[in-house]
Amino acid sequence: MRYPTLLATGLALTAVAPALAADGERIQVTGEVIDTWCYFSGVMGGPDAVTGSAHHTCALWCSAGGIPVGLLGEDGQVYMVLKIAGDEHSNGGDTQLALASHEVKADGMLYRRDGINYLVVAEVVSDEGITHLNHEDFGPVPGFAIPDPNE
Amino acid sequence: MRGLLALLLAALGASVGSAHEGHIHPAPAADLSPQAPLPFALGGPFLLIDQHGMPRSEADPEGRAQLLFFGYAACEQICSVALPVMADAVDKLAATGVRVTPVMITIDPETDTEDVMRKRLAEVHPDFIGLTGQPAALERAYSAFGIERKRLFADQSGNDVFAHGSFIYLLDAEGRFLTLIPPILTPERIAEIVSSHLGSGAGG
Repeated sequence: MRYPTLLATGLALTAVAPALAADGERIQVTGEVIDTWCYFSGVMGGPDAVTGSAHHTCALWCSAGGIPVGLLGEDGQVYMVLKIAGDEHSNGGDTQLALASHEVKADGMLYRRDGINYLVVAEVVSDEGITHLNHEDFGPVPGFAIPDPNE
Repeated sequence: MRGLLALLLAALGASVGSAHEGHIHPAPAADLSPQAPLPFALGGPFLLIDQHGMPRSEADPEGRAQLLFFGYAACEQICSVALPVMADAVDKLAATGVRVTPVMITIDPETDTEDVMRKRLAEVHPDFIGLTGQPAALERAYSAFGIERKRLFADQSGNDVFAHGSFIYLLDAEGRFLTLIPPILTPERIAEIVSSHLGSGAGG
């Protein structure tokens, strides 16, 4: 669920041009930080299997490998994360890796382009950790994402 | 363990073609409504050297729009996904009369010699342009698009593996930024976005 707000304080967007920033929309999104490639492509399984704890390890590898992270909102929409809480990356940064698969509430600016929601996260308001515990249903997805200590 | 990253993303790259029909949660259709300007500037002038040793700026000498990606020839991670997707999108656009040049600027100039890029990119698409240059010239291009790059480790073959920005940028023929495109989109969707910005029959 998104909450448009007029609050302007606390945003880490001071370096942007004010005239341009005005065309974004201040929102808060609650949802899960996801691996956008596996979610959209379906190559590793259905959406229920490529989120949550089942897909956590793969989400880490994908983020490190260059896949932009997204935020799967409670509204069912995916928000492509351009930057998050001062980390100048859309993937693979320390913040993105630390939040992979976590349920968070993000406060930031939404920019709609080409039918895609782009989110510049100013602040992670809350981080509930991994709450979508689906590994008991699916196991690790995919199984080969788990490193073999013997290799 | 390091090989897992390459294994995972190589598997992803190999699956791109079949994934198009397997969409379970397709991204929303292209929206032609007004675009929200991004809160940071993207694009700018650069002058680099292509894989044939010819100088090339941000402008396309043939007057075509461009799909620009920052990556490296030996990359088995996101580049193995993005470069073929770009090539497929270019072909789909060409079939509709929209000519677009795919361009990669290397983020690993130590490894990506002209010869290395010429061989690798020719495997992806005959029109693919690979650009390298002196460190200062490359830094100017990275800075224009906010590209961060970081060497992570050397893989089992001794090749450096980098983390790097992975969005695709649509530029017009003069090299002006038009929009950014997530590398996870299908070629069909990328072509749709490009067409919405250029219109059918654009490009030379």
